[in-house]
Amino acid sequence: MKLKVTLSASLFAITAALLPRVAAAEVAPLDLVAPIADYKIYVSENLEKLVADTKTFTDAVKAGELDKAKSLFGSTRMSYEAIEPIAELFSDLDGSIDSRADDHEKAEKDPEFTGFHRIEYGLFAENSTKDLAPFADKLLADVTELNKRITELTLPPEKVVGGAAALMEEVAATKISGEEDRYSHTDLWDFKANFDGSRKIFDLVRPLIEKTDGEFITKVSGNFDKVDVTLSKYKKGDGYELYDKLTDDDRAVLAAAVNTLAEDLSTLRGKLGLN
Amino acid sequence: MENNTDKFKTTRRNVLFGAGTAVVAGLSGANAAEKQGEQVTDAPVSDKTQERQSFYGAHQAGIVTPRPAAGMIASFLVLAKTPEEVERLFKTLSQRIAFLMKGGTPPVLDDKLPPADSGILGPVIPPDNLTITISLGSSFFDQRDWLKAHKPVRLSRMKASRNDALNASLCHGDLSLQFCSNTPDTNIHALRDILKNLPDFLVLRWKQEGSVPMLPPKPDGSHETARNFLGFRDGTANPDNNNASLMDKIVWVNQGDEPKWAHHGTYQVVRIIRNFVEFWDRTPLAEQEAIMGRNKASGAPHGGVGEFDIPDYSTDPEGKVTALDAHIRLANKRNKTSDENLIFRRPFNYSNGVTKSGQLEQGLLFICYQADLEKGFITVQKQLDGEPLEEYIKPIGGGFFFTLPGPANEDDFVGRTLLEASGYQVTRIKP
Repeated sequence: MKLKVTLSASLFAITAALLPRVAAAEVAPLDLVAPIADYKIYVSENLEKLVADTKTFTDAVKAGELDKAKSLFGSTRMSYEAIEPIAELFSDLDGSIDSRADDHEKAEKDPEFTGFHRIEYGLFAENSTKDLAPFADKLLADVTELNKRITELTLPPEKVVGGAAALMEEVAATKISGEEDRYSHTDLWDFKANFDGSRKIFDLVRPLIEKTDGEFITKVSGNFDKVDVTLSKYKKGDGYELYDKLTDDDRAVLAAAVNTLAEDLSTLRGKLGLN
Repeated sequence: MENNTDKFKTTRRNVLFGAGTAVVAGLSGANAAEKQGEQVTDAPVSDKTQERQSFYGAHQAGIVTPRPAAGMIASFLVLAKTPEEVERLFKTLSQRIAFLMKGGTPPVLDDKLPPADSGILGPVIPPDNLTITISLGSSFFDQRDWLKAHKPVRLSRMKASRNDALNASLCHGDLSLQFCSNTPDTNIHALRDILKNLPDFLVLRWKQEGSVPMLPPKPDGSHETARNFLGFRDGTANPDNNNASLMDKIVWVNQGDEPKWAHHGTYQVVRIIRNFVEFWDRTPLAEQEAIMGRNKASGAPHGGVGEFDIPDYSTDPEGKVTALDAHIRLANKRNKTSDENLIFRRPFNYSNGVTKSGQLEQGLLFICYQADLEKGFITVQKQLDGEPLEEYIKPIGGGFFFTLPGPANEDDFVGRTLLEASGYQVTRIKP
C-alpha cells in the first residue's frame, strides 16, 4: 500500500490511471463461504454462553447476592463483547443491553437506561441490588431475544469481515479511556473479549490472503500478540485487574496497538474484495 | 445541484434542437450569468495556497520562517523504543512532512480500500505555507537508555511557576509537532496524515490550535506586530529573524558544552496561558497599559511614540514612566546583561470554548525558541513571577522540548544526527 518510490505528482497521476482498480488479493466470493459459516458457529456458541451466563448473573442480582453478582459482571459480558459487531446489527437490542448512561439525556436517572451498565451502576456505584430485579429480567429477556434473532439471521460477509476492524474502532474511540465499565472498572475483560472477537475473524479469513499478503499477516498477528502480552500482565485469577491498575505506559501500548490494528484491519474488507 | 441539472438540460436541448432558438439561448445565458455569481457554499478564495517553505536546511522550518495565520502544537507519547524503531519514526515523519510541505497528489488506491489521504483539502494537496517542526521532550531521552548520555545539556521537564495551575493532561510529552500554515484546515490535514501513518509509534496526548489576526497590507510595505487576546501587540521586541548572526546567537544551539549532534537545533518552550478576558475587558485602559508598559493602540512603550521605539529604563529608575513591575520591563530590562536572556517568540492566540463558570476559555498559545533554555525562558519567567499581569492570566499547560537540527537534503532526515551520535548506523533515505 505504501508508495515505494517518490514519484512526481503528474507522473503518479499517469501511473495510477493505468492501474486496474481491483482489490489487492484475488479472492472469489465462494472462498468466503467456509469462514463465514465457521464464524456463524462462533457467534452461536458465544450467544448460548451469553444467555447461560446472563441467567446466572441476573439470578444472583435478583436473589440479592451482591458480591456474587459483582464477581460475575465482568465475565458475563465477555461473550457479548466478542461478537459485538453482529450483536449491534439490532440497534434496539444493543441499546437496551449495552448502552451507557451518557447515551441518555437524564444519564443514570433516565428510564431508558437499562441493561448491563444500569445493573453495573446499581451494583458498583450504589453498592446494592435494590430495585434491580426489573432490569435483570429485561436483560435476560433481551439477550434471549438477541440469540433468537441472530440464529435466524444470514450473516452479511462484509459485516463479518468488517467486524474485525469495527471492534478495534470501538476500543479506540470509547474504551481505551476506561469509560465503558466506569462503575466496575472491569474494562480489561471487555478488551480481552473485543480483541479475541477481532482476532477470530482475522484468523478465519487469514488463509485467503496468507500467500498474497504475508507482510500484512505478520504485522497484524504481531500486534494481536503485543496486546495479549500486555493484557496477560494484568491477569488475576480467572479474570483481570481493575482498569485503574493499568499503567500509563501500558495504556499507551494498548492504544497504539488498537490504532494500528484499526488502520490495518480497515483494509481487510478490500483485500477480500468486499465492499 | 439544481442549477447544474438545469444547465445540463439546457445543453441537451441545444444539442437536440440546435442552438438557434431564442428562448433556449436566452435561458442558457441566464444560467451562465447566475453561475458566475458567488454561491454561499463556494469555498473562500485564497491566493496563498501555493506558498511553500523548504523542509531542508541546517535548521528546521517553522522557527525563523514567517509565522502564518494558523498554528498548532500536538504532543505525543512515543512508543518507538529501539534505535531501529526510532529510525523508522524519524524517517517516516520526515517523509510525510517533506510531502505535506511540498504538496502534491497522494496515491490513488483501490476504492475497496480506505483512501490514502483524508481528502479534506481535495485530491491535490496545496502546500499552503505549511511547516511542521519536530521537537523532543526530556522524557524521550530519559526513557531510552541508549539516548540518556546524548540528551541536550539544558533540556529539562517543565516545572510549574508560581502562577501556574498546570493540568496534567495538557503538559509535557515525548515529542512535539508544531504545525504552522495559512489555514487551520491545512494543519488539521497534516496532523491526520501523520496520525494515520504512525499509529504504532505515536499516541496523541494533547493538542492546542491557535491563530493570529490578519491585517491588510500597508501601502509602504511596512509591518506591524500582531495582537494577542488582551488586545496588545505581542512580540514587538522579538529579535530580528532576518539577522542570521543574531539568530545564531539567540536561537540556534552551538555552545561548546552541548552535544555536537544538537548544534543548529534549538530549545522550544510551549505554554498554554489562559487569559481572563472578561475581567481584562472590565479593567480601565490606563491600568491595562500600566500593567503591560505599552500604549494599547499604537504599541509604543511609555515615553515613546512608535511601536518599535526602545524604552530607556536607565533614565527612569523609579518607574515613573514605565512601572518597575510592568510586563515588558520585567521581561526585558534592556541592558547589556539582559541580552543574554533574549528569547525568540512565535505565539498564537487560542479560543477553546466555555468554562464551567460560563467564561470564555481563551488565551495565548505561547511558543518561544532559544539557544539556552535556562538563560532564556526559565530566567525570563522567573523575572515575571509575581507581576501584576498574573491577576489576568493563568498558565495551564505546555512543556519544554528540544527542536532537532534540520535535514540537510532529500536523503537526510530529522533526527539523523542524534541516532548517529548514539552509535547507530543509519541508512539514508533513497530519493
